[in-house]
Amino acid sequence: MAPQGENRTDADLTGEPGSSLHGVTGHEVFPYINMDTVPEEATDLKGRKFSLPVDSEHKAKKLKIYSFARPHMLTFHLSWISFMTCFFSTFAAPPLLPIIRDNLGLTKTNIAHAGVASVSGSIISRLLMGTICDLFGPRYGCAILIMATAPAVFCMSIVSTVDGFILVRFFISFALATFVSCQFWMSSMFNGQIVGLANGLAAGWGNAGGGITQLVMPLVYDLIAKNIGADNFTAWRLAFFLPGCMHIVMGLIVLAIGQDLPDGNYSSLKRSGDKVTDTFFKVLQYGVTNYRTWIFTITYGYCLGVELTVDNIIAQYFYDRFDINLTIAGTIGSTVGLMNIISRPAGGMISDMAARRFGMRGRLWALWTLQTIGGVLCIGLGLLGSLGPSVVVLVIFSIFMEAACGATFGIIPFISRRSLGVISGAVGAGGNVGSILTQVLFFSNQSYSMEKGIMLMGVMAIACTAVLFLVYFPQWGGMLCPPSKATEEDYYGGEWNEAERAKNLHRNSLKFAENSRSERGPSRQEQTSDSAPTTRV
Amino acid sequence: MSAMKIALVLAVALLALVSVAEAGVSFKSLNSSKTLTVQAKIQATNLTSGQAHVGTDHLVISWALNSSFDGTGKDARYANVKIRLCYAPVSQTDRGWRKTKDDLEKDKTCSKGITQQKYVSTGNTTTWRITKDVPGAVYFVRVYAVDALGTELGWGQTTDKAKTTNLIEIVPISGRHVSIDIAAAVFSVFSVGSLMGFLGLEAIKQRKANSKAGHFFREAFIDTIRGQSVLREVKII
Repeated sequence: MAPQGENRTDADLTGEPGSSLHGVTGHEVFPYINMDTVPEEATDLKGRKFSLPVDSEHKAKKLKIYSFARPHMLTFHLSWISFMTCFFSTFAAPPLLPIIRDNLGLTKTNIAHAGVASVSGSIISRLLMGTICDLFGPRYGCAILIMATAPAVFCMSIVSTVDGFILVRFFISFALATFVSCQFWMSSMFNGQIVGLANGLAAGWGNAGGGITQLVMPLVYDLIAKNIGADNFTAWRLAFFLPGCMHIVMGLIVLAIGQDLPDGNYSSLKRSGDKVTDTFFKVLQYGVTNYRTWIFTITYGYCLGVELTVDNIIAQYFYDRFDINLTIAGTIGSTVGLMNIISRPAGGMISDMAARRFGMRGRLWALWTLQTIGGVLCIGLGLLGSLGPSVVVLVIFSIFMEAACGATFGIIPFISRRSLGVISGAVGAGGNVGSILTQVLFFSNQSYSMEKGIMLMGVMAIACTAVLFLVYFPQWGGMLCPPSKATEEDYYGGEWNEAERAKNLHRNSLKFAENSRSERGPSRQEQTSDSAPTTRV
Repeated sequence: MSAMKIALVLAVALLALVSVAEAGVSFKSLNSSKTLTVQAKIQATNLTSGQAHVGTDHLVISWALNSSFDGTGKDARYANVKIRLCYAPVSQTDRGWRKTKDDLEKDKTCSKGITQQKYVSTGNTTTWRITKDVPGAVYFVRVYAVDALGTELGWGQTTDKAKTTNLIEIVPISGRHVSIDIAAAVFSVFSVGSLMGFLGLEAIKQRKANSKAGHFFREAFIDTIRGQSVLREVKII
């Protein structure tokens, strides 16, 4: 008797041969398929051709940026554009603050509180989004979040009190959890060898929304105030309809043409038995008990956290310390966000290149190096006293810090296969916690001047990055220790208990383990083809 | 490499900008030049202090050369006067963007301009309707006497040195309109509603597909049972 509902598709039931890599009869127990033997024109479970070369999990092995082909490249573009929309709306208020603060009578303390609120909402939502992605899929997670936070963006148009402003910025920041769905989606669609680059590009271009908004919102405001002739205090409210509508449009597009996995959506794959239904507590358990989750939460807190803090304080810093025009200070501030377009993908690429030559150990060393140099430059930024050199150091510092963020997400997909969403969520949330911690410790105190605060932030970044030395993957090694005899199957299979393994629920993890052998580095690749048992039908 | 070049060019341009800016007149240096007397009244109540509403109320501002400076020639180079609306200290606390600085080029106390008039020693009056972009705060009025190039030479203000008397509180507009409120509500409802609609549609499609598949399996199962019972009857199994 064929195993109940496990490998059957509609095509199988009607008996069409050759339309699925998993075989027609569903008799085979487990296909160990080497990456090399997958034909170039592979088809998905429903028989549709892929336009990119894929591995055995149907994840793309190449990235074609100009293409919008389904499912991989379309997902890439949907994912980064929706993330960019959320960053755009979360940081839409700062460039208009000179008007908003006059309209609502805000003080500097109020603005600081609003700044903290604008990064705290996403802590909770990033943690939740992780589990939602694991259980329901990134498409639902992304679309639901974007459309549910659209009312908060529209509420910004109707605030009239200080508390209202702070609350609205808090609720809009929930939208930043699309970062998790974005990274999860990229990790589901792209093979481990280019996942660093794919994650880096998507997140970098998304993060750049924070820089784009600093340029676009003032333009929209000017258009409404001058060309349409609305009062100042009405014009900024109307300007907020732009990010709000962007939310609705992107949400609908993602729902209509998005796809969770290369083979289809979670719901249809679950029906045909190709996607295992997991439970919330199991997913959470394996995410939380993996110590690497917490190490990367700390390091990312001083990578993205530093970047978010700089986003919030840098315009003020330049305006106050060097007495320059507020508009110029704002433009300098926007460059930090815009550098993300190049630097975050560069970080992902560096991570992938390091992996090609040295495996996972290379990725860890690359991340440590990038982030430590970023910390050193941050110390330098705090110590410099003149405008020109400060701007140059700021730009270089943002390049290194953002590259470190990109490199972090070159490693995250490998920590766990079962709980990828929970871990992405926890690490993403860690970034925000780092930002809040830094702003509270170093920038809300009267005892530290801003330059001292920046210098101390750099010191803390270097200290927190040092915990990377504690990361150890038994199958690949750590920064200082070589690998043991354990295999990738042991590591990823170990996330499922005996009962689950008996039911073959861990088959997707084993496939992932097969594909992740590239993280061993070139020197150990020759051992792989002999040790992996291959069962063909 | 080109990104580095752009960064360097940007840095040099900024440096150039900064070096071009010049320091303005020091306010302390004008201590001995408080040559003008200024008075500002709210037109509706004819009082020099109180509440005024943006858009509807008018301020009547009159200024003249202080009689003690008549004939001293102090006003020889005065060409124009700039009348400005200035923040009282209570509206400046915890708001660095309204900070008082000695360098008048960088001083942000009097950032709102009311009007400019030609200087005559006998003075002048102006009636100003409070514009809708004025933020809600407590204000006083200051008049600067400037030369032909715009450099401040003398001044006067409605309040005393400690800035405690004759302060006018201006009540702003909220900027909200009923139409904006309604539009925001409509868009929000559309967003949540279309999300629910989409999810509902997908749930219905799923249920149909599940029941189809379920129905098929049920049929297959019944056939199997029937098949087995037939075979048992025929004594094959």
